[in-house]
Amino acid sequence: MRLSQIFLPVGLSILVACFAVSAQRTIGTAKLAPPATVSVNIETIDTAGLKALITKQKDKPLLVNFWATWCIPCRDEFPDLVKIDGEFRPKNLDFVTVSLDDVGDIKTLVPKFLAEMKATMPTYLLDVKDPEPAINAVDPKWQGDLPATFLYNEKGQVVFKHFGRVDSAELREAIAKLVKSH
Amino acid sequence: MTKRNVSILLATLLVMAGAVIAGSGRNSSEIPAPPAIGATIEEFTLPDVDGRDHSLKSIKGKNGTVLIFISVQCPVSNAYNERMEKLAADYKSKGISVIGVNANSSEDAGAVKAHATEKGLTFTILKDPGNKLADKLGATRTPEAYFLDGNNKLLYHGRIDNSQNPAAIESSDLRTALDAALAGKPIEKTEAKAFGCTIKRA
Repeated sequence: MRLSQIFLPVGLSILVACFAVSAQRTIGTAKLAPPATVSVNIETIDTAGLKALITKQKDKPLLVNFWATWCIPCRDEFPDLVKIDGEFRPKNLDFVTVSLDDVGDIKTLVPKFLAEMKATMPTYLLDVKDPEPAINAVDPKWQGDLPATFLYNEKGQVVFKHFGRVDSAELREAIAKLVKSH
Repeated sequence: MTKRNVSILLATLLVMAGAVIAGSGRNSSEIPAPPAIGATIEEFTLPDVDGRDHSLKSIKGKNGTVLIFISVQCPVSNAYNERMEKLAADYKSKGISVIGVNANSSEDAGAVKAHATEKGLTFTILKDPGNKLADKLGATRTPEAYFLDGNNKLLYHGRIDNSQNPAAIESSDLRTALDAALAGKPIEKTEAKAFGCTIKRA
């Protein structure tokens, strides 16, 4: 068999597979899980409350995801986050999400989306007139781009952070290291 | 086909595959930090939505330039359409150009042009293929504004104001910065943050 007969199909297969992965990521943005009967309780939180949430003494690692229903990559990554919650909460991970939706959406768009996602992690909705102090309280280097994900160890130190759609494998790896050492 | 040709073909395929994977997003840690306030922004040239090239030199106002990273799809950016259009109209006569920049790889020039027409955006909008300007300015979200003076020195970076909801505006940070510069006064708040949509990098 000539070399070209081996390499050509292999190379083409890699290329096709990669395009398929890329296309799937794009198409996947519009898909949502079917509505579920999940009761979702969402509380508002201000800058002081947010600061307390991330700096308080923890007895277990804490994952915080900032998102909004209007943010497409936030919606895209949410199914992965729900799976991570289901997988790691029993292993002592605390996971809360903070919605940056309008306060007027606290009883409509936000719980509807969480129910569709079958999300049960505690969710807060940031209720502030000026978002800047809240952004800086979380991370002075954060410009406010969504989504944003932060993982804290029990000492309250950030051990993983990501702005934009998070890589599920990277996040899992970081969580696994923490819950293992806990 | 020779062994050499096969190797070249395979290498090309792998590079293309890598580019496709990379096109799905870039790690946030790879995005350069924004230039410091006071830094001079280098000259650049970008095409508008009709493919015509514009240099910074050719589009800047005598008293400065506002570059705003905007988006077709982002609801936050869209919430500011009327405010951006009014900003451009209000400051044109004062010698400050307002320029939109679309750096989203997911929004092509045709989509940007159609969106501008639909939303009545008449200020110049540049396309930033490969996010070269977004990288140079460390831009991460839409909308995100940069105000350069007449000598391309960065005077203000950040949000347009504090709220997507026009009724809840308490701090018009960008306008305050422009007015201070026009009055020859120091800008008190040179940076301000707000939530926004991530720029979809190539």
